[in-house]
Amino acid sequence: MAAPTMNRAGSDSGDSAVQTLTISKALNMGLRAAMEANPKVLMMGEDIGKLGGVFRITDGLQKDFGEQRVLDTPLAESGIIGTAVGLAIRGYRPVCEIQFDGFIFPGFDQIVSQVAKLHYRTQGKNKLPMVIRVPFGGGIGAVEHHSESPESYFAHTAGLKVVSCSNPTDAYWMIQQAIDCDDPVLFFEPKRRYYEKAPVDTTKAPGPLFESRVLRSGTAATLVGYGPMIRVCLDAANAAAEDGTELEVIDLRTLSPLDLGPVYDSVRRTGRLVVVSEAPSESSITSEIAAKVQQECFYSLQAPVLRVTGFDTPYPPSKLEEEFLPDLDRVLHAVDRSLAW
Amino acid sequence: MPQFKQFPMPDTAEGLTEAEILTWNVKVGDAVKVNQIIVEIETAKAAVELPCPWDGVVTELLAEVGQTVNVGVPIITIDVDPSGAAAPAPAPVAAEPATNGASSGKIGEEMPGGRIATLVGYGPRAGAAKRRARKGSEPEPVAAVVAPPAPAAPVAAPAAPVAAPAPVAQPGGYVPLAKPPVRKLAKDLGVDLYALTGSGANGVITREDVEQAVAVPVPAPVSTVDNGSRERRVQIKGVRKATAQAMVDSAFTAPHVTEFLTIDVTPMMELRARLKTSPAFRDVKVTPLTFAAKAVILAAKRTPDVNATWDAAAGEIVYKDYVHLGIAAATPRGLVVPKVRDADAMSLRELAVALDQLATTARDGKTSPADMMGGTFTITNVGVFGVDTGTPIINPGESAILALGAIRDMPWVVDGQVVPRKVCQLALSFDHRVVDGQQGSQFLADVGALLADPGMAMTY
Repeated sequence: MAAPTMNRAGSDSGDSAVQTLTISKALNMGLRAAMEANPKVLMMGEDIGKLGGVFRITDGLQKDFGEQRVLDTPLAESGIIGTAVGLAIRGYRPVCEIQFDGFIFPGFDQIVSQVAKLHYRTQGKNKLPMVIRVPFGGGIGAVEHHSESPESYFAHTAGLKVVSCSNPTDAYWMIQQAIDCDDPVLFFEPKRRYYEKAPVDTTKAPGPLFESRVLRSGTAATLVGYGPMIRVCLDAANAAAEDGTELEVIDLRTLSPLDLGPVYDSVRRTGRLVVVSEAPSESSITSEIAAKVQQECFYSLQAPVLRVTGFDTPYPPSKLEEEFLPDLDRVLHAVDRSLAW
Repeated sequence: MPQFKQFPMPDTAEGLTEAEILTWNVKVGDAVKVNQIIVEIETAKAAVELPCPWDGVVTELLAEVGQTVNVGVPIITIDVDPSGAAAPAPAPVAAEPATNGASSGKIGEEMPGGRIATLVGYGPRAGAAKRRARKGSEPEPVAAVVAPPAPAAPVAAPAAPVAAPAPVAQPGGYVPLAKPPVRKLAKDLGVDLYALTGSGANGVITREDVEQAVAVPVPAPVSTVDNGSRERRVQIKGVRKATAQAMVDSAFTAPHVTEFLTIDVTPMMELRARLKTSPAFRDVKVTPLTFAAKAVILAAKRTPDVNATWDAAAGEIVYKDYVHLGIAAATPRGLVVPKVRDADAMSLRELAVALDQLATTARDGKTSPADMMGGTFTITNVGVFGVDTGTPIINPGESAILALGAIRDMPWVVDGQVVPRKVCQLALSFDHRVVDGQQGSQFLADVGALLADPGMAMTY
């Protein structure tokens, strides 16, 4: 690929502003656009330079922007994050790639103790504009440490922003908005959806970063998810529509802060909510949504808030992961239970 | 026959594309075993010793020490069947796929087998998710994740070629506000919350709102008259709706059996005439229903099955040591079935008073929901309409119902002579899950005997 640096739209569909892109390609183009727009933007991570990253998200960036701006780091996540903290204090906008979700934990102390607290500790004098990109979730048949959903740990920590994209348009725009954000952002990328395609308008951002969005309107029940589960929710809504049941689908997009206004409005109309996530359910994003919705929409609920999630176990060996991951049928089953209440 | 296999350079870590040969530990002609270290390579991450995947004899080294080899390129050929007979033709050399199968495809592209190549793992599945077979519906083609719509305008489904059926009728707008227990009450009583206006703070529908919706007589059923079509459409709600629900529930849950009995009630009518002149009963209205109620209570003691409940949820039959007697009453608002509580503890006079009050309250439309719940047996007095009998449907939660027919002067054979007598028909429907034919027949015969000869009550 390696599109000419001045043509951020790429070249696969001529001059048209709307192109069909994979999430992986859209992220790559979004990162490229951010680097072109601001010379302070740096990339750091394991094998992101010459190799272009395990998922090729940073493909071609080192070649075009040089080894000073796209750095191959040692295999030490705490070092990657710690270095980025220093760079961010000095006015850079580092974008760190954590190669896989399960590798973030060596950097956990840096994230929770330094990244999340620096702005607060300095009484607002030092902002920390950095992005930590994390390919997350299962579904690629990988070994241990490569399929986890650790987003709840970070949403639980004050001082961090946590977002997740679900489609190529959001991938292209949200990564740029996250880099523009003056606060540290954990950017969770749905790795098993990297190669799904959709049309992307590269001329106009569809909206701000920290907003949830209704992707499909319906009256029977509300489905809420984020990241890789959005595809499952939309598939479920299509299947339910065949049976005459219209489901509303909401993509959270931002996990911290949560933007639940559209969810409350939807639940007040449908009276029923199913929350979907790959992460185990205990003390998770889905718990938080269930708690807040019952508090805000108590008088409107026709059924308890139901959750479809991964199980409260370690992520299983890859041959078993299809049993672990919420799918179309588990979501539809929960919808049926809610409607029967 | 000799069988040659080639071992390709594996990706020993994540995302490696090449490695350098450091040392060969074997040479051509050596015998090798599974897991024997054959070569040391160096990647960008580390120096790694590679074990041999097969038993056999080394026939060729395909890379030299110091050479950098791309992942997936064969580095050694091993004859895994050296003692076999000579092949008739040179055996085709088949390169094994790399260890995790991933390096055989280009990253991000679909491989044979429907997965997308990644450096780590088998790769995500390509294509649409499939729904488990349900009603034989075909899995539809699933569109890619929708491009997000403008924030203000929620967008309908991604442009999937789905022939959506007509959407089910959904009451638009917001869900009526009510606490969960109030929703439960409304559901149990068949009250549609969408039809109510909440009297609580911020329009929340209260328990009282729901109870009132059942108790207060509806002024006139909302109906629309269409002169052109000569049809009148009346909204199904309130008592009509509750009745329909209860009857459908009962008829399709409890297997009904109905038995009939025709009896001579002349002695009962004579007793009634005597009581009318008795000082104790002077101000009380004693009717055939009063006697029927008493007879049912007495007979139920002999056959407690008719006063029991089938509890499917608990998997139990619940026998009751009390009788809450339901009396089906036609009212301006429709059918209601108020109960006489603990009717088994009442004398005939007390029963007569209670039944009279019940009828008055029901006719005035003042029967409260609480008065209509918790019955154990029901009598429906269809005789007041001049009909002989019917096949009544059991009130849900009970196991039997008795229909009392009209009392007429009919020819009857007494001592071989046809004489005019007061004759009445009884019909008993019972839930065959709880009550067998023997118990049902016994009960109906007992009731009949008591009405035909009230003196039999002395024997109970």
